[in-house]
Amino acid sequence: MSSKNILIIVPAYNEERSIGEVIEGVQRCLPQSDILVVNDGSTDRTSEKAKASHAIVLDLPFNLGIGGAVQTGYRYACEKGYDIAVQVDGDGQHSPHEIFKLVDALEKKKVDMVIGSRFIGNPGYRASPMRRLGIAILSRIISLIVRQRVTDPTSGFRAVNRNAIQLFASDYPQDYPEPEILVLLSRSGLKMKEIPVKIVQRSYGESSITWIRSAYYMIKVLLAIFVDCFKKRPVVGQGGKTC
Amino acid sequence: MLIKIQIILGTLSIGLLIFTLELIRKKKLREEYSILWLSTGVATLVFSLAPMFFLTKFFSRITGLFYLSAAVLIIFLFLLLIVLHFSVVISKLTDRNTELAQRYALLELEFLKFKKPTISEGGP
Repeated sequence: MSSKNILIIVPAYNEERSIGEVIEGVQRCLPQSDILVVNDGSTDRTSEKAKASHAIVLDLPFNLGIGGAVQTGYRYACEKGYDIAVQVDGDGQHSPHEIFKLVDALEKKKVDMVIGSRFIGNPGYRASPMRRLGIAILSRIISLIVRQRVTDPTSGFRAVNRNAIQLFASDYPQDYPEPEILVLLSRSGLKMKEIPVKIVQRSYGESSITWIRSAYYMIKVLLAIFVDCFKKRPVVGQGGKTC
Repeated sequence: MLIKIQIILGTLSIGLLIFTLELIRKKKLREEYSILWLSTGVATLVFSLAPMFFLTKFFSRITGLFYLSAAVLIIFLFLLLIVLHFSVVISKLTDRNTELAQRYALLELEFLKFKKPTISEGGP
């Protein structure tokens, strides 16, 4: 890998049991990168655990939700002039070896964002039928809009270059950002690519997405994507405005 | 029948006007958000003074509605407008709140980096 500055952004909300392990895993695999934990108003000892593992820790004063937390990370990356930012979940489902693959693909494929997909040639990932259906619907619709095949629009495992960092620092959806970001990115003329990644199944607790919540998720995301199609195109690389 | 409604509506609108003005005076309500409430109060007050005029001459001419329920419907729509206005205001506040929290966290990180050495030097 080249000598570019890499920032690993780990959004964490009450992840005290897994955060230390995640940080140490990344430190072992990519010792040259900086790790930024965005503590999204956790009520447990996430912040202390992350500091003990020698990560840079941003403590948000209250819970902003995943979009607000991740955007804070991109703002930091933008201000500090990082060339590459990688977004990794704090619950340990993204293995650090795969980060290397994402960054490598970002440089070799000459795109602005690389997404780790759980569904390309990878039978290892099991999801409930409901979730599979939701993801299938979303990926069809998004593939149509961005005119490119997208298999895993809800994946939160992404690596981006400087262009996308600047875009995300100024404009990032708040509630359920992952699918919407794809539309935003394509509308601002940036390129993306999916690569297969292996996912470690969540070790602690069940996914918090229930029936009603998944219905709300679908409606909210589809509405947001629909509205995005009529918004003004975001402009990238104006420089110096946000960072 | 109509006089009863006139009295009730008139009292309510005067009450609403006084309450709104009192809130502005105590600085619990900003002027910009009070305008819609004040105009609601004034509109219902004027209506309660001469309901027959408005019902038969004014509204019926522009809307074709003849009944008192039509007036209620119009007031309801007005209140709906106020609620929508508030949703817009809340959305704006939420965005600003998020931005503030993010900047706060970023600044705090810088601040702690800057502050640490002085603590360890001056501390016991």
